[in-house]
Amino acid sequence: MPLHDADLVARVLVDDDHHAFAELVRNHQSAVRGLLRQLTRSDFALADDLAQETFLRAYKNMQSFRGEAKFSTWLYRIAYNCFREDARKRKELVGIDESQLAAEQDPQTVDPALKHDLMHALQLLPLHERSAILLCCQNGLSHDEAARVLDIPLGTVKTNVLRGREKLKKTLAVWKTD
Amino acid sequence: MDEQFQEDWLDRRLREEMPYIDDEGFTAAVVQKLPAAQAPGSYRAAILIGLTLLASVIAYFLSDGGRFFVVAAYRLAGMPLFFISFVAICGTLIATAAGASAALAQTRDTR
Repeated sequence: MPLHDADLVARVLVDDDHHAFAELVRNHQSAVRGLLRQLTRSDFALADDLAQETFLRAYKNMQSFRGEAKFSTWLYRIAYNCFREDARKRKELVGIDESQLAAEQDPQTVDPALKHDLMHALQLLPLHERSAILLCCQNGLSHDEAARVLDIPLGTVKTNVLRGREKLKKTLAVWKTD
Repeated sequence: MDEQFQEDWLDRRLREEMPYIDDEGFTAAVVQKLPAAQAPGSYRAAILIGLTLLASVIAYFLSDGGRFFVVAAYRLAGMPLFFISFVAICGTLIATAAGASAALAQTRDTR
């Protein structure tokens, strides 16, 4: 019978059980790596490095997980913070690179081979809208949970999701008419 | 209506296009980087209790049957109440400050 996250977390905390932690990693690796791949704009190597850092940080700070939120929500928060710290270090936070920002705003500049690809359209969104869409629409988090992960007000999350959705629809419509 | 349909379609497509990423050694790589496992909690607790009992027995015999404790208790009883209260409050404040700073450091790590 598969164990729930709470049972596995308890085993890690009480017995420092590496097998239980491995089970947690196995259960959540796909979602965490998927989120980071989208946030890093498909830089798979960087995303996997950040995912490793996420799980190691989760292990180190397991005692601070109080079970108020879902374990996956807590992991997403750590993953997002790892990504932000790395982006800050690399000075690659969206909004700093003007040429990248211009490309984001103009879906016409996209390679024709990538048009009609929803995931590519998603990568054209600015970080704050992309992360809100990824968490709420793709990973199924509530607006409230996403606000906790991103550490921003609930209203901002709702706005970002709304704007992101609008831009996605527009981008896909523009590509459709090409 | 059409707007709602488009949103549902978009959300569904987004969920469908999120592929499952095969583990391919990722979990093993993470586990390999974990610090060495500590002894199980119950084992550690037994060792701690055993050592505490042993230390108490040694202290009892070395201190002439715990006579120093009786002497200290008499001395404490002779002190003014104000002084005892002051020491107790200071001790509590120091312990609270240490606990709070440890908790804050822990929270900062996860942020």
